Amino acid sequence: MARYIDLYWLFLIQRLKTLMEYRISFILGAASTISMQAASIAAVWVVMQKVPSLSGWSYNEVLMVYGFVTLTKSINHMFADNLWTLGRVYIRTGGFDRFLVRPIDPLFHLLADRFCQDGVGNFIVGLALVIKTSVELGIEWTFLKVLMFVVAVISGGFIFIALNLITAVSAFWVVDSVPVTRLIFDNHLFAQYPLTIYPRAISILLTWVIPYGFASFYPASYLLGREVGNVAWGAPFIAAFLMFIGYRFWQFGLRYYSGTGS
Amino acid sequence: MIQTLNRRFSVYSALFAMIPKMFMAYQLWFWAGMVMNIISITILYFFWDAIYANSAAISGLTREQTINYILLAFFFMPLVGNDLLWEFGSNLREGLMIHHLLRPVNFQMMNYAQQLGGLVTRMAFQLPIIVLAVFLFDLKFPSDLNTWVAFLISALLGFTAMFFFSWVLACMTFYTTEIWGLGVLIEGITIFFSGSLVPLAMMPEWLRTIVLSVPFAQALAVPVGLLSGITPLSDAPRIWLIQLVWIAGMGVLSNLVFHFAVRKITVQGG
Repeated sequence: MARYIDLYWLFLIQRLKTLMEYRISFILGAASTISMQAASIAAVWVVMQKVPSLSGWSYNEVLMVYGFVTLTKSINHMFADNLWTLGRVYIRTGGFDRFLVRPIDPLFHLLADRFCQDGVGNFIVGLALVIKTSVELGIEWTFLKVLMFVVAVISGGFIFIALNLITAVSAFWVVDSVPVTRLIFDNHLFAQYPLTIYPRAISILLTWVIPYGFASFYPASYLLGREVGNVAWGAPFIAAFLMFIGYRFWQFGLRYYSGTGS
Repeated sequence: MIQTLNRRFSVYSALFAMIPKMFMAYQLWFWAGMVMNIISITILYFFWDAIYANSAAISGLTREQTINYILLAFFFMPLVGNDLLWEFGSNLREGLMIHHLLRPVNFQMMNYAQQLGGLVTRMAFQLPIIVLAVFLFDLKFPSDLNTWVAFLISALLGFTAMFFFSWVLACMTFYTTEIWGLGVLIEGITIFFSGSLVPLAMMPEWLRTIVLSVPFAQALAVPVGLLSGITPLSDAPRIWLIQLVWIAGMGVLSNLVFHFAVRKITVQGG
């Protein structure tokens, strides 16, 4: 484990050195995603100036949900972005074979190969939103709430990573796994708003099938002292379960993998 | 003997499998696109449905009017989103700009024709999801032919104004040589300022003034306002006139900016 942490550090420093060669690209990349978030937030702001309640959630409460999903998504974006490019960049070109002959776990190698700076913008926006809304709503940061925040962000990040991993494994069969991943990944957009605005079927889907609800709605409910809040403590178990499935499926896919012959 | 046969078989079966795989990749993209669109319109629908839970009208717009406007704005997004910036970017990267400029056709008109073709194609691909929205979310289209004509004219004018404006923005790549970040930045601005997320009527006065002082809304909010019936048909001539003024202004500006920016091209190895 310690060896992998050291290794990750080395990979990261190497990557940052490369990024710093193109400083403007780095900053623009990190900042660009902010404009997308700003557009959505501005829209919610405009509407909620007119109507102060979204099925019982105030503007700041809605923003907290939004902040959580942005924050947890950014973890995946920064540390596991290569799951998107597995097929296109590594398998298609044959570059993936490089990972297989090295004395470290190929999945670790894939993820460590590229820290993605574009997630930094979302991380900052998400964190700022949760802090801003918790101050405006007068939330008292007790020990349990701080613990929940940390647990939720890490678990939420892993839920994103695990679902992307499970779908990315399809690259071993279809090469370009991006459409498969998008199919599942895009469901996180539901979790930008309180799940109570949707019909029951959708909130069940987002809780038990594609559990992005644990990356936003449930932890926010907990911090806000809402009824369903305690469900949020399930997040680490769900994340661990999904990661387990994801890793096993990855190993299964690896056995199938025979290269593209390029 | 058996071994060689086995190996041959595995090689040829891999080649055999290649074609269905390639075919499936396109299919997957199509279906993923469909699902992504369904997710987006479902969220839009239920968000606005919840907003209207306790109000009959917001800023003079009923629930039906707003949902209809928002869904139509979603489908007609191709009106405001051309990929001129990426086009310029790839031309720069590949060093093709000089070839285009030397051709005996007007470079700007050539791009306009291509973007117009892109618009028609992208709209055609929106059709399945539009049909779905009619059934799922009760999306309504006007039955009156005049409204359609007014919309189509306004859409074409707005698209043209936006094309010239995008031309100005695309010229920025000559200075930055960075495309991805700039593209995403502009996309975020476009999504909000085109009025795709919120009807302009709901915006506070000062914000609406800002939104209407840049051309994004001309290509989306304005024509879709006509199609959704929010803007009365009698306003159409005035709207066309304003759009024509936008086209003239942006047309001149785009040529001016290009004239100066083109000297800045630092071709990357081309």
